[in-house]
Amino acid sequence: MSAPLLQIDDLSVTYWDRSLLGLRANGFEAVKRATLTVDAGQTLGLVGESGSGKSSIANALLGLVPPSGGTINFDGQDLATLRKGFPPEIRQKIQAVFQDPYSSLNPSMTVEEIVTEPLKVHTRMTRVERHEKAVELLKLVKLPETHLHRYPNEFSGGQRQRIAIATALALQPSLIVLDEPVSALDVSTQNQIINLLYERRDALGISYLLIAHDLALVHHISDRIAVMYLGHIVEEGPADRVYHQPAHPYTQALLEAVPLLDPARQRARRAERRGRVTTDMPRLSEKGCPFSGRCPHVMDRCTARMPPAFTVPDGGTARCFLLDDEPNEQGRSKD
Amino acid sequence: MLLTLLFCALFAEWVTPYDPLQQDLINALQGPSVEHWLGTDDLGRDVLSRLIFGSRIAVIAPAEATGLAVLIGVPIGLFIGFRGGWWDWVVMRVVEAVVSIPGIMVAIVIIAILGTGLHRAMFALGILYSTAFLRLARSVVLTEREEVYVKSARVIGAGPTRILLRHIFLNIAPPLIVQVTLTVGAVLLAEAGLSFIGIGVQPPQASWGTMLNSAASFMELSPFLAVPPGIAIVATVLAVNLLGDVLRDSIGRGVRVPSTGAPAQRMLAVPRKATTPMAPHPDDALRVEGLEIMVSPKGEAEVPVVTDMSFRIAKGETLGLVGESGSGKTVTGLGLMGLIGTGVRITNGRVMLENTNLLGLDRRDLEKARGNDVAMVFQDPTTSLNPTYTVGNQIAEVLRIKQGLSHRAARDRTIELIDRVGIPRPAQQADAYPHELSGGMAQRIAIARALSCTPKLLIADEPTTALDVTVQQEILDLFRDLQDEFGMAMLFVTHDLAVAADICDRIAVMYCGEIVETAPVDALFADPRHPYTAGLLSAMPHGQSGKPPLPVIRGSVPAPGHWPTGCRFAARCPYAIDACAKPVQMTGTDRLERCTRADELSLEPAK
Amino acid sequence: MLRLIGQRLLAMVPLLLIVSVMTFSFTALLPSDPVDLIIGDRGSEEQYEMVRERLGLNQPFLTRYADWLLRAMTGDLGTSFFNSVQVKDAVLQRMPATLSLTFGSVLISITVGLAAGVAAGLRPGSWVDRTATFGATIGQAIPNFWFGIILASVFAVSLRWFPATGYVPLTDSPMEWLRSITLPALALGLSTSAAIARQVRSAMVGVLQQDYIRAARAQGLSSRRVVLKHALKNALVPVVTVLSFQITVLLGGALIVEQVFAINGIGSLAITAVRQQDIPMIQGIVLILVLVVMLVQLATDILYGLINPKARPT
Repeated sequence: MSAPLLQIDDLSVTYWDRSLLGLRANGFEAVKRATLTVDAGQTLGLVGESGSGKSSIANALLGLVPPSGGTINFDGQDLATLRKGFPPEIRQKIQAVFQDPYSSLNPSMTVEEIVTEPLKVHTRMTRVERHEKAVELLKLVKLPETHLHRYPNEFSGGQRQRIAIATALALQPSLIVLDEPVSALDVSTQNQIINLLYERRDALGISYLLIAHDLALVHHISDRIAVMYLGHIVEEGPADRVYHQPAHPYTQALLEAVPLLDPARQRARRAERRGRVTTDMPRLSEKGCPFSGRCPHVMDRCTARMPPAFTVPDGGTARCFLLDDEPNEQGRSKD
Repeated sequence: MLLTLLFCALFAEWVTPYDPLQQDLINALQGPSVEHWLGTDDLGRDVLSRLIFGSRIAVIAPAEATGLAVLIGVPIGLFIGFRGGWWDWVVMRVVEAVVSIPGIMVAIVIIAILGTGLHRAMFALGILYSTAFLRLARSVVLTEREEVYVKSARVIGAGPTRILLRHIFLNIAPPLIVQVTLTVGAVLLAEAGLSFIGIGVQPPQASWGTMLNSAASFMELSPFLAVPPGIAIVATVLAVNLLGDVLRDSIGRGVRVPSTGAPAQRMLAVPRKATTPMAPHPDDALRVEGLEIMVSPKGEAEVPVVTDMSFRIAKGETLGLVGESGSGKTVTGLGLMGLIGTGVRITNGRVMLENTNLLGLDRRDLEKARGNDVAMVFQDPTTSLNPTYTVGNQIAEVLRIKQGLSHRAARDRTIELIDRVGIPRPAQQADAYPHELSGGMAQRIAIARALSCTPKLLIADEPTTALDVTVQQEILDLFRDLQDEFGMAMLFVTHDLAVAADICDRIAVMYCGEIVETAPVDALFADPRHPYTAGLLSAMPHGQSGKPPLPVIRGSVPAPGHWPTGCRFAARCPYAIDACAKPVQMTGTDRLERCTRADELSLEPAK
Repeated sequence: MLRLIGQRLLAMVPLLLIVSVMTFSFTALLPSDPVDLIIGDRGSEEQYEMVRERLGLNQPFLTRYADWLLRAMTGDLGTSFFNSVQVKDAVLQRMPATLSLTFGSVLISITVGLAAGVAAGLRPGSWVDRTATFGATIGQAIPNFWFGIILASVFAVSLRWFPATGYVPLTDSPMEWLRSITLPALALGLSTSAAIARQVRSAMVGVLQQDYIRAARAQGLSSRRVVLKHALKNALVPVVTVLSFQITVLLGGALIVEQVFAINGIGSLAITAVRQQDIPMIQGIVLILVLVVMLVQLATDILYGLINPKARPT
């Protein structure tokens, strides 16, 4: 196998609270030594609830926050060491689509200005060439050419997200970071955007890092899925395996928490989970597994130290001692 | 007004009837007369002429000072806002120090260094007011930096200069213009003040401030002397400030271009009879009949957001009101409680809570019914609790006011309730402020407060949408438990069919302000009868497990005011026929649907 | 709460230092030589040197600053160049008049501003709102000293209800004290009343649209209770901020309004000092004014912490 497009190793992101006098004080580690791989032309789904650190990984990858440790190898270069911003050739290759379609487009620019902005920055195209490209980009996201001279506030959420995607495609990047691209949209328009993203990926050979809180949605277009909880990547593996046979208790809890569309089966499931004590105030364990406070399978050693990454039989890894009994234990543990 | 001022300033020599410096001691301190329209001052100079010459300073002075303030303040503000770090820290401390000295004192000190006189005074004021522009520019940069579109620009690879000029600077213009007008006004006032105490414009030169200075000395002899220059100052400052307001409003509009889409045919607000077949039943906790709600957006004609809305909820039952954004589900929930805001109007219908029509109650009775008979839980728990009171205080308040409990009893009951909704250490948590709780905990508190008076009906408006899915599950369980215990009926408003499947007994699906289908929960999922319901079910992320293309409903939800006159879903419906162009009524007995072809279609059930 | 006070007191230190550096270096930039002003044109070279040495002006700038700072920290602000009056005594003697005026106007503007702002904010667009907003706009356009002149000529000169000039210390006669500061405080408080009214109005309009107000109404609490208990406390949060800014405006305004009513406060002291280029006096006045401003801001910060639990350090 050739080298992956993106290889993130031991990445940490820490936010600092500034004290009154501007001196550095408390640090909050949003991402704790995360390791991820994205292969060319593939999609990695990154799933987690609020506060899991999934957006911090995106921000580090996009050069919006400096990592506090680890490496981000992209296309043969370590982005984590580029403290002074990324060089243009890297910038062109990594683009992004953000969650809120209402604030991600500059309200004072027309659609044409928005989608051609990357071309102005990175290419020496003439005005006519840029216009042609803009028309082409709009075609790619299935919007009529007549929209070029309108302003963002004239469009619905779904249409705005298409404009954002067109902008991301302008420079023919090799990786697009999709940070919750459909969670602000209505159910009936979500799938339109998912389908569009899927089509464009296959046609243009782009890789996606798809960040979302909904495992089911991510599963549709991901090749692999990584699950984050409180800064740790707790499970990683082929999309179907993670979705259908989750190995980590947190992934299982996440899947179970989504109500089924079958009321009878849902009733049965609720009856079954009754009596199990859970709370949304996790008792954080400093050294151990962050999920140990809520985990139904918690053991003594879970609170003593963070489990290493164990290999899961059908592919991928999970950081849980439940897998320790497996004969092929070795993992890529670095702890 | 401002034009007059400018005219006077430019052509003072030609307009004035007298030389402003010409003294005539015999005719000193006269009141208004035919010769001297506004009288004369202590040295017998014509007040009107001096007033007109003073306007020249009223134009020059603010222009100088404001120009200087903008030139100094804006670049530095942009720079430190963008650069941050130590530069920012040091400059901001200096600015804080300057603004903590009374402005006039700063000006006095600067004038002490530079000497008195108009231009020096204006230089002083320019430096002083540059702090305002500096802070403005900095704060705009700081807020804009966090905007997602600036983030996007950084991802595209735009350099700092480009981001600053292309993406941020455009947005600084509106507040900047307003600040300019405010500063012009402030400079006018300050110049008058400085001249008044004798360190601005020097006599005998005419400025409105120096005129007031001499007027003050002769207050007892000729009180009128103070009136003309004062009014000139007030009117000018007022005009400048009003100009600022107007500019701000018009600039605000410039950015937000109104939608130019072809307006769909507007429906008329004709009160209609409820068309949904629904007989009263003794078990009904709530019966809504023919509810219609209209909204008047700013400057536009009134449009309906909810029409022909009828449903019932039995005692102890949970009805799910499911719809996408813009379907009118939230405004329905608020409308039932009479909590609609300004610009919203209920134009038709009845809301029968047991035997009382809530819409027919006067304010006092409605306030009595709220809380006691019907209560509500809102979407965002962190904003639906008052941030300035402890959570225990907010529950106890309801118990005291609505139930007449003593402080003591209310406190005890509050802790009981907090314990009941599953919060550990209830007595301690009662003293917490809302921001100290997680979203899930805050929502538990909101639920405890809503149930504190054991209402017959609880309206829950997307109560789990703002929460993580694992927390959502716990809150849904809590609703179920509490319903078993308190026995209230529930109207559960949500956009998520899966959540509705979990919590509801029956579901009403809304689309474009009307219910399109109502059915018991099992029947709805096993056998959806409206194409929109079927479309929603198939579009759910869990509705299928395959790879794309995923099933979609084509098009998007039309906004209120742009609804078709016939079946509102027809344009997006794969089964639409010509007959769908006419308005459709709700039909059926056990379950209801609003579809011409309901009987002939067989639609995909949920997977 | 104690931590908050501690933090704020700590933050005052660098601010005071910066202010002292600024005033000290500004005054060092004075174009004319104060010694010339003192001894006049006819002073001999020797006299000149003697005065220079007495005033410490022959020392290098930094030495002078360090010396002055050290003494200032012990409460000694030096002596005036022109008479042997201690700066501290001179300022403290004039302070009560200026402070009475300022705090009188604070009281007036809080009362007027709050009442007008709440009334306007409850029903945006109503005639009450339009009247109050219009009044506030005009109020902000009126120069306080001119309003003072008008008040004086109507209520003091014509009607003779209040004295036109002068200040009676509180300790002499509380009644006369009140009469002597009523008109000046009214004149001074006008624009701040207007500023507060505008702020309260917009805060009120904003707060009334919040979810928690809707939730309180959904709970069946009466409109009166919702407004007075739930909305007002939240609307006060930005008002406190405005007040802490306005205090410098009011103190500065007091310097001018004092001139209208011939009150011997800090204003006339400052103007004289500037005219005479009395360096120690200017430095002392600025420093003490800043100290007053900071103490007031500390008080508003504490008030802010009291009504806004989010601002309390945890």
